[in-house]
Amino acid sequence: MSNPIRLTNLFAACVFSLLLSALGCGGRAASGSSQATAPPDFNGVWSAPFTPDLSKALGHQPPFTSYGAARFAKEDEIDDPLTKCLPIGPARGIQAGIMPFQVVQTPGVFAILFENQHTFRIIHTDGRTHPKDLDATWFGDSIGHWEGDTLVVDTVGIDDRTWLDTAGHEHSDQLHLAERFQKVDNNTIKWTVTFEDPKFFTEPWSVTLPIARQNTEIMSYSCEENEKDRAHLRRSKK
Amino acid sequence: MRTLSSLALALVVAALVWTVAPRSVIAHHGFSVEFDKDNPITLTGSVTKFEFMNPHIYFYVDVKGKDGKVVNWAFEGGPPNVIYRQGWRKDTLKPGDVVTVKGFRAKDGTHLAACATVKLPDGREVSAGSGAVAAGPNGSSPNSGKY
Repeated sequence: MSNPIRLTNLFAACVFSLLLSALGCGGRAASGSSQATAPPDFNGVWSAPFTPDLSKALGHQPPFTSYGAARFAKEDEIDDPLTKCLPIGPARGIQAGIMPFQVVQTPGVFAILFENQHTFRIIHTDGRTHPKDLDATWFGDSIGHWEGDTLVVDTVGIDDRTWLDTAGHEHSDQLHLAERFQKVDNNTIKWTVTFEDPKFFTEPWSVTLPIARQNTEIMSYSCEENEKDRAHLRRSKK
Repeated sequence: MRTLSSLALALVVAALVWTVAPRSVIAHHGFSVEFDKDNPITLTGSVTKFEFMNPHIYFYVDVKGKDGKVVNWAFEGGPPNVIYRQGWRKDTLKPGDVVTVKGFRAKDGTHLAACATVKLPDGREVSAGSGAVAAGPNGSSPNSGKY
């Protein structure tokens, strides 16, 4: 009380601390998942190794339920939604889009712009949760948070018309995607995707792929521009 | 260390996938639903038209048969975006160019084939989308590939 200068300094320190906290720089937050440093910069154009059959990356077929196995046994590539120029879906766009994608990163949004069909994912990193009444969409609803050098993404509400890959691995409306985008170095992202779907799989299963920075820009694409294949496609399974 | 070893494993797996994956670069349909990998063909003729458009490039070649009859064959290649990054341009093929095409016939028996490589008038044999994929695990750069 006898030292007003010290009290002023204490008050200023408190205000500064509150300000830092409000800006998200105040150390570990209540959720325990925030961090003291800014997340790494993922901006740029990237591409994963073309993986049209996830079982090849997994080393075996996914752990099908009997229903999932029956569906896979009768599935034919002619029924691939991409043959109808429908959207590629959230994970397949990364691992089997053939073309690169661009990441645009802001404090509250991590956007993935796919060259394939000029589609996109918006991953909200502003702390929101999934909506309670969620209608399924082609890329689902994605929320993410940072764990050090890794963006952890949770996606639900994915339209069951999408396929997981070109080989015909399907999913239901109960598909839950858990992804981890770890910035390993300036040119590499370690991407791990876990597929959880109780209707199709007995347990969650994961694939990890290295995503590499590309020295290119994403280009225009229109699936319908000169589509001539559908008339020639032939069913290979009965 | 665990992270590094996991990444190394992922890279090995990715390399394996890369090695065994179909070499065709089909943008919006699987190779086997349209083309027969057991029915390869090699044809020589004169280019009549080149469509450098999505979702696949198409070009057409007048091919003279043993009976003297000329048939206009259609060849499908990879997506223009992918082969642009390998060096293709919209004028890579011009009407009148004499080319030799290696590919695989369509399953429906029409005069359509997936194009693996084209031998250009200058003698270069280039991939048309059934060869090296641009977006490989080690990255790619525009114009770095020789088609």
